[in-house]
Amino acid sequence: MIGKIGKRANSGSADIVGNSIETVGDPIKDIHAFPNYRGRVSLAEKAGLPLENYEAAEEICASGAIKIQACGDKEKITLDMGKCFLCGRCQEVAPDLLRVESAFAIPVRKREELIESLDGIAPAEESFEKMGKELKEKVGKILGRSLAVREVDAGSCNGCEVEITALNNPVYDIERFGIHFVASPRHADVLLVTGPASRNMEVALKRTYEATPDPKIVVAVGACGCSGGIFGDTYATTGGIDKMVPVDVYIPGCPPRPEAILYGLLLAVDRIPEKHG
Amino acid sequence: MMLGGDATDHSNTAKYKSAILQKLGKKVRGIHILNGNEIHVILSTKEEIPESCYYVHKDLKTKLATVICSDERLAGRGFMLRYVFAKENGEDVFIILTARIKENDDSAGGRHLTFPSIALHIPSAALYEREIKDMFGIWPDGNPDTRPLVLHEQWPEDVHPLRKDFDINSKIPRIYNREYPFTKVEGEGVCEIPVGPVHAGIIEPGHFRFSVLGENIINLETRLFYTHKGTEKLAESMNLDQVLLLSERISGDEAVANSMAYCQALERIARANVPKRALQIRTICAEMERIYNHLGTLAGMSTDVGFAYGASRLNILKERMMQLNEYVSGSRLLFGVNRIGGVGIDLMDDKLKHVVNTTNLLSEDFQRVISMLKDKSSVMDRMRNTGIITRRVAADLGLVGVAARCAGIDADTRRDHPYAEYDSLRLDMRHDTPQHLMEYEIEMQKMKGDALSRFEVRVEDVVNSISIVNEVITNLHSDNVLVVADVVDRLEPYSHALGYAESHRGQTIHWVMIGEDCNSLSRYKIRTASFVNWPAIEQAVLNDIVPDFPLVNKSLDLSYSGNDL
Repeated sequence: MIGKIGKRANSGSADIVGNSIETVGDPIKDIHAFPNYRGRVSLAEKAGLPLENYEAAEEICASGAIKIQACGDKEKITLDMGKCFLCGRCQEVAPDLLRVESAFAIPVRKREELIESLDGIAPAEESFEKMGKELKEKVGKILGRSLAVREVDAGSCNGCEVEITALNNPVYDIERFGIHFVASPRHADVLLVTGPASRNMEVALKRTYEATPDPKIVVAVGACGCSGGIFGDTYATTGGIDKMVPVDVYIPGCPPRPEAILYGLLLAVDRIPEKHG
Repeated sequence: MMLGGDATDHSNTAKYKSAILQKLGKKVRGIHILNGNEIHVILSTKEEIPESCYYVHKDLKTKLATVICSDERLAGRGFMLRYVFAKENGEDVFIILTARIKENDDSAGGRHLTFPSIALHIPSAALYEREIKDMFGIWPDGNPDTRPLVLHEQWPEDVHPLRKDFDINSKIPRIYNREYPFTKVEGEGVCEIPVGPVHAGIIEPGHFRFSVLGENIINLETRLFYTHKGTEKLAESMNLDQVLLLSERISGDEAVANSMAYCQALERIARANVPKRALQIRTICAEMERIYNHLGTLAGMSTDVGFAYGASRLNILKERMMQLNEYVSGSRLLFGVNRIGGVGIDLMDDKLKHVVNTTNLLSEDFQRVISMLKDKSSVMDRMRNTGIITRRVAADLGLVGVAARCAGIDADTRRDHPYAEYDSLRLDMRHDTPQHLMEYEIEMQKMKGDALSRFEVRVEDVVNSISIVNEVITNLHSDNVLVVADVVDRLEPYSHALGYAESHRGQTIHWVMIGEDCNSLSRYKIRTASFVNWPAIEQAVLNDIVPDFPLVNKSLDLSYSGNDL
C-alpha cells in the first residue's frame, strides 16, 4: 500500500506538478483507500445466530444506526448507514456480525436504501469493481456537460466542507467532469447540503432552495445531512436535510471521502432526465 | 525561561494562593488547589465578582480563558459561575474565581436572575456574558449589549436550553417577525452590505454586515451561531464514550485537539497515568492535524490573493497529509485517534517510517512553494498591511494561537500549560540562551498583525510541527498498553477539571463536570480558539476595502462550528 502513495496508478499522465504526485486518473475507479480506512460498516451473513447476543452492539452504537427489532416471530437486525458515523465501536463488541470495511458506503437516491438488514431486505450489493465500471461509463456519458453546484452548510461540523474543498484540489480536480462550484444559488443546478440542518439555518436554507432555479437537485452530504447524525433531532437541529427541503441523493459517511461525494453528484446528474423526461 | 519545567509549579500555585488571600481578604470564602494547577477561589457573594476579576486579570497579569456557568440546582447549589484566568509565559497556573447565584435571588426586582458584568473592563468577557444570558437566563448587569447571541431572534426570550429543566428534544415554536438590531452606521454616502449566512465559497455559514464609505469598510458586525447544534446540551444526555465521539465533531478539522482536551479533563480528575507511548501518539497526531490545516489555510490565502498556482501546489501537499492521516488513523480527518485514558490506534514500524518519509518529502516541497510565493510581489503586496490586528486589540480581546502570535503576543498552550508529550519537548530552541531569547523577543516585536505576519507564523508552525513529529518518533516509547481502562471507574460525582490543548487555531479549553452516575456529564463547557478570536475580525478589517475581506477572513482561519457549538 505504501508504494501507491506518491506514485498514482495512472502512469500515462504527466508529472504536472514537479513532484512525485500525479493527478488521479479517475478518482472513482482508482480509489486508494488504506485497508484500515473506516468507509462503511456491513452486516456479516450469519443468519440463524440468536440476535440477543448482539444487544451490546445496539447499545454501544452512539448513532442509533444498529437496531434489533421484532419481525414476526423472529428478530431482525438493521443497520442504517445514513445514521452511522463510522466510529467502529460496534466491530469491537461484535466482530463476527459487524465489520468495518474500507470501501465507502455508496450514495443512494432513496433514504431507505441506506438501511441494510440481516434477513436480506437490503438492496443488492454491487461489487466495488462493477460499480467502478458503471461509473466510468456514466462519467463518459456526462463528460462535456456542465453542472453548477452551490454548497450550503446547514450546520455541519466542517468535516464535510474539508472533503468538499478537497474535490477542487488538483488530485481530484472535479472540474474535469464539468462540475464546478458556483457562488450563488441562482447559478446552480445542484444544492450540496451538509449538516444536521440547524434551526438557526432553517430560513436561510429554505430561501436558498427557493432561489435555485428549476430543475434543481438537492444532495444531502454526510451522516448529519442524511439523518442528523450524532447531533440528532433536538431543540437546535432538525434531524436531516430532508426535514427541510426535498432531497434527491443521500451521500453517507462521516465525512464522506471526496470520491463518495463525486459519486453522489454523478448519481444526481443522472436524475435530470428521470425527473423531467 | 526554561520550558516545560514543572518543578516550579507548586511554588507558583502557593505564591498566587497567598497573594489572592492577602489582597481579596474577606471577599473570599474559601480557596483550594485542584488537579495540580487549578487554584479555585470561592467568592463570598456574587457582588465580589468584578473587583476580584479585575485584580486577578490586571494585577496578576492573567488572560481570561473562559467563563463557565452551570446549573447545579439539583445538587442544591443554585447556579455557579466560574471565571477561568490563565497565566502564560512559563507559569502553568489557572486561577478560577467561583461565585454562586442563588435561585431565589430577587436583587433584580424579581424579573431576572442577574450577575454583575465585567465586560467594560475586560472586553473579552462580553460574549461569555451574552452566552450565559441566552443559555441560562441570567442577565449580565451592566453589559451594554444584551442582544441575543446563540439563540437567534426566532427563539422566545424566556426559554433557556442549558437549564436542567429544559428537555433537549423539545421543539420550541418559532417567532418569525422579529429582527436582529444591527448597529446602524449613518452618514452621507454610508451604505450597508449584508453578506451571508450562505457564502459564495465552500465555507460555513455566518452573517456579516458591512458599513462602507466608498470601498472602505468603516464598520463590520458579525452575526454567527447559525450552526448552533446544541452540542453542550447534547453532551449531558450521552455517556462518556459517546461524548468523546461528539467532541471530535465540535469542529471537524480540530478533531484531535478537541478530543484530546476532553480526554485530558477526565484523566486529570481520575489522576490516570496515561501510557507514555499513547501520549506520544497523541502528540504526533495533533501535529499532523496542525500541518494539514495550516497547509489548507495557506492555500486558501493564495487563492484569495488570486494566485491559483500556489494554491494548487499547497492543496496537493494538504491532500498528501490527509492521505497520511488516513494511513495512520483510518480517517482522513484523524477521527478516532483519542480514547479516554489513551489512544485507539498504534503506529507500527512501517507506519512510522512512512510518516517520517512523507513529512520529510513534504517539507522539501513546502520550502520550494513558500519561497516561490515569497518571490511574487503580487502575493506579498496583497497580504502586507492587510487586516491589521494591533497588539492592543489582541491583548484586550485575549486572542490565542496564530491571531495572537501575529500581533507579537507569544502565547502557546503547548508551552505554557504543557500536556501530552509537550513537557519533554523543547518547542523552540529560541529560548535556550539569553541571546536567543532576546533575538526572539525582538522578532515578536516586529510582528505587525497583518495577513502577511499570519502567513509567516503559519509557515513557521508547519516547519516546527514537522520537526516535532520527527523528534517524537525518534524517541517513541515501547509500551504495549495504549489505554488505561479504569479511568471512568475512578471518577466521582460532581468532580470537575479543565482540559486544554493547542489546536491549529489556538488554545481550546474544555471544562467537564461529572454527573451523578459517573458515566455521564453534568456540564460540558467548550471554548474553542474560534470563540475568542472571532471578534478580532471586526477590528482587523477596519479601513480595508471590501475585496480584502475574504483574505482577512481566511488568514484568521476561524471555525464557525467550533464557535457556534
